[in-house]
Amino acid sequence: MLPFSSWEIGPIFRAMTRNKVGAVLIALQVAVTMCIIVNSVHILMERTEQMARDSGIDEANSFYLSSTGFADDFNDQVVIQTDLDAIRALPGVIDAMQINAIPISGGGWSMGLQTQPGAEFEGVGTAVYMVDDHVLNTLDLELIAGEAFQPSDIRWRERSQRDWPAEIIITRALTENLFPEQSYQDTVGKTLYINDDEPVIIKGIIDKLQAPWVGWERLENAMLSPEQTLFSSSMYFVRTEPGRLDELMPAVEQMLADSNKGRVVRGLRSMQETRERTYRRDQAMIKILTTVMITLTLVTALGIVGLASFNVNRRRKQIGTRRALGASQASVLRYFMLENFLISSIGVILGAVLTVGLNIYLVQSLGLTKLHWWLIPVGMLTLWLVGQLAVLGPARRATATSPAIATRTV
Amino acid sequence: MFNYYLRLALLSIRRNPILSGLMVAAIALGIGASMTTITVNYLMSSNPIPQKSEQLYYVQVDSWDPNNPAEEPNEPPDQLTWTDANNLYAAQKAERQVIMATTAAVVEPPSQDAKPFNAYIRLTTNEFFPMFDVPFLYGGHWQASADKGREQVVVLSRKSNDKIFGGENSVGRSLRLAGRQFTVVGVLESWYPAPKFYDVGTGAFDEPEDLYIPFLLKEELQLPNGGNTNCWKTPEEDSFAGFLRSECIHYQMWVELPNEQDKQAYLAFLNNYANEQKALGRFSRPLNNRLSDVMQWMENRQVVTDDARVMLWLSLMFLVVCLLNTVGLLLAKFSGKSAEIGLRRAIGASRQALFYQHLVETACIGLTGGIAGLALAYLGLLGIGSLYGSFADNLTSLDINMVLLALLLSLISSIAAGLYPTWRACSIAPASQLKSQ
Amino acid sequence: MLNMQNVTKIFRTDLVETRALSDFNLHVKEGEFVTVTGPSGSGKTTFLNIAGLLESFDDGVYDLDGQNVRHLNDTQRSRLRNEKIGFIFQSFNLIPDLDLFDNVDVPLRYRGFNSSERKRRIERCLELVGLANRMKHLPAQLSGGQQQRVAIARALAGEPRFLLADEPTGNLDSKMAHSVMQLLKDINDEGTTIVMVTHDPSLAREAKRNIFVKDGKVSDVTHITASTPEQVASISASGACHV
Repeated sequence: MLPFSSWEIGPIFRAMTRNKVGAVLIALQVAVTMCIIVNSVHILMERTEQMARDSGIDEANSFYLSSTGFADDFNDQVVIQTDLDAIRALPGVIDAMQINAIPISGGGWSMGLQTQPGAEFEGVGTAVYMVDDHVLNTLDLELIAGEAFQPSDIRWRERSQRDWPAEIIITRALTENLFPEQSYQDTVGKTLYINDDEPVIIKGIIDKLQAPWVGWERLENAMLSPEQTLFSSSMYFVRTEPGRLDELMPAVEQMLADSNKGRVVRGLRSMQETRERTYRRDQAMIKILTTVMITLTLVTALGIVGLASFNVNRRRKQIGTRRALGASQASVLRYFMLENFLISSIGVILGAVLTVGLNIYLVQSLGLTKLHWWLIPVGMLTLWLVGQLAVLGPARRATATSPAIATRTV
Repeated sequence: MFNYYLRLALLSIRRNPILSGLMVAAIALGIGASMTTITVNYLMSSNPIPQKSEQLYYVQVDSWDPNNPAEEPNEPPDQLTWTDANNLYAAQKAERQVIMATTAAVVEPPSQDAKPFNAYIRLTTNEFFPMFDVPFLYGGHWQASADKGREQVVVLSRKSNDKIFGGENSVGRSLRLAGRQFTVVGVLESWYPAPKFYDVGTGAFDEPEDLYIPFLLKEELQLPNGGNTNCWKTPEEDSFAGFLRSECIHYQMWVELPNEQDKQAYLAFLNNYANEQKALGRFSRPLNNRLSDVMQWMENRQVVTDDARVMLWLSLMFLVVCLLNTVGLLLAKFSGKSAEIGLRRAIGASRQALFYQHLVETACIGLTGGIAGLALAYLGLLGIGSLYGSFADNLTSLDINMVLLALLLSLISSIAAGLYPTWRACSIAPASQLKSQ
Repeated sequence: MLNMQNVTKIFRTDLVETRALSDFNLHVKEGEFVTVTGPSGSGKTTFLNIAGLLESFDDGVYDLDGQNVRHLNDTQRSRLRNEKIGFIFQSFNLIPDLDLFDNVDVPLRYRGFNSSERKRRIERCLELVGLANRMKHLPAQLSGGQQQRVAIARALAGEPRFLLADEPTGNLDSKMAHSVMQLLKDINDEGTTIVMVTHDPSLAREAKRNIFVKDGKVSDVTHITASTPEQVASISASGACHV
């Protein structure tokens, strides 16, 4: 190992200060690049985290579609019952039910629940799913306390009906929001108030079910209401055995369309497609940011390569002289690597400041979350590494400079 | 002289193909990235109806919960109740006014070949069409009497006319809608305002609806609610009529007010109306009524998404990096030419002449980068289009303004990037580079 | 000190083969001051490059200070250059971005001296060449003669046994040339072996021995017994900067 004195930090630094512009340009590029990359990674992580949240249902094997009757003699109640019986009887279908809204789809129904009656008390918002006694099996939910719905619990809901069934099932998150002091098991059987003062009793608790609105801060608040709807459209939710979704989706659609000509069957969509559509913007943002990060890193690296190559060419004579004075090839390599390292260091320190600055701006003006502190050292390390890799090529070319150049007169 | 400079520039670019290529690539990437996001932001924030956006006002009255504002901090609700929409419309206090909502129903085309389908419908009043300058292909809008008389008339979008009637002039023909017989009175030209300013609640860049029918048919045919419905209070009766009469908001209203005086008068009318309602036991919140013109309303609804803004910022910084890169590379390039510059100075070229010579070279590189950047922006927009799907359909086209902006941006930024290196190159003393060091 | 036997250097291109040195023989003893002259293209610079380990050769034997250098690798050669050889170039080859102190420091860094040792040597050597008070100046702020004296200080700072000078006065006017020449002779008097390539016959006569190179061979050797040096006033110190 060479002694430390041969690491020419002092002279490199002093030479740099006499030839500032190139160094400043690289340092600035590194700083801005780091600022963009770290903030992009932060946004990317935030989005990925959001997208990774579990909706609580068997998304891989579920789909839904809706039926809208228009014929004058169309009898919703009969058709719904016939349809559900027929779908459930299909081989490959695990279970099916009617539902008023689809989790994570973007559209649904919300209500406020409160623990005391009266308009003056503020309610806790929750998504409302109107379902029948097949709900646990169809959505693949786990009942962690209380009891499931029985067929006799299910009622029909007319279009403008305002009242609610006597008993409901709610998610663990919702009950913990309503009764922050108590453990969820103890809340079974408690009375809640919907519409300010209409009592409903908690019949059971399910572990997890997301609301339709993924941007909502109370995404995990959901309640199951035991009723089937007689609205102008009815939506059917179907869960299939693994691997049979693709075959059953068109089959169910065709079966419904054929069974009754007085209606329109539409909106056939798998849960996976729903998830994709819901998170499409996040997915797009992730891809765009990734592209930006890659091209930006490339641009910065190419800039470093360009300037370093130029510097190597410009200093050929100097390199030859150093070689003549006893610099080994390793010293020449180290010289350029070290020079880049010093410039990058200034860049990443400035970059850390810029990064935090941009993050503060994004937090304040666009509602992003705060940066994880460790992203900054990781970003600094990354850019150091990018710089070193970029300068490696030109630096290696510099080592090939013949010391005999020193005796050549230009 | 310019031609001479141009020739020198091309020579110099050819002499250093890698360095020149790197510069063009850096500018192209920077321009490409920023033009892509600038275009998306530009289209998102573009004025969909510039000729009268300042005369069209969205109406808000605060009918909300006495205990809580509709939106923090103390924003009035973003839609109207059925009662208020009808009352305000009936007063006819503006030059023009329109109330509307969305719904959906099954359309049964007259031809047996075409299948019934579920159509998205705008319930509205007749002045919707003249007020928003909606172009007609065939026929025209219905009359005010049709609104009042709840006549079963329909205006088709061009797309649905193609679907139902094969694109023929269908005025006077009939179709079944929600189980009733409707008569076609008009067919629209292709009309895709972006943003879809008159109702951004269901997606600011969605397509307009398939059909338009008179507003009061909502009640007549008991049509379901499309879009958003919000209630601070449960309806008091169990019927469709009761639901309409409830405090649930679902309806939108626009008024056309030609000048400031009309606007003030209309605002006074709204406040007056709110006070009347207070007397009837509604509107328990303090007076908080609003008229927002089109662009104010777009701003209020945050039509430009945060993601688009973040991307804009990041891409502008990206451009900065690319320009820093160009400055560095130009410095490298020009200082490699210092011997030539010294020679030219020695044989009588003025500093100014050399400055122009190098500026022409920089501009050549900048423009080339700009053109390549445009191509990249086009690809970028295609990419964004495919990533965002239908949401971005109306947001990813380059118009001539954007093309000019891109070229201008590339020219300005490359010249800005080139100024310092050029100045440095030209301040070389005439003799200094002639002798060997 | 320096012993070359039948050293041959061939430059090859696709078309031609040029013998830059062919069976070159030279023996330089410890403490000698040898000048090398010859017409341009005769092989002077190639000889200098090989002698200074800047270039390899194709055939023959070269012993430097008793060590056969033929098969040394690049790192070993670099080390040898750093420790045993001091270089003085025609165009000075100072590093423009470094001040005088840092310029003289360059070979010492590669040598691995600690910082106080380096500082002592740099100051001594700059003092020797009369530039101690301009340590923080950049090369561009000095005249050509001053620059060459800095280069000499740099060559001496590592206390090499052997100094190689390539037209050290070629870019200087005659007055400065003389002063530099006198400095070299003083250094030689202190015991440092010097080999100097020059095209100037009057300078060549000031050495103890002159060899004439032609067509890549030593063609003539002149021993010079008496020299008439003029004392040059501007030299403030004499002797090598031994420390």
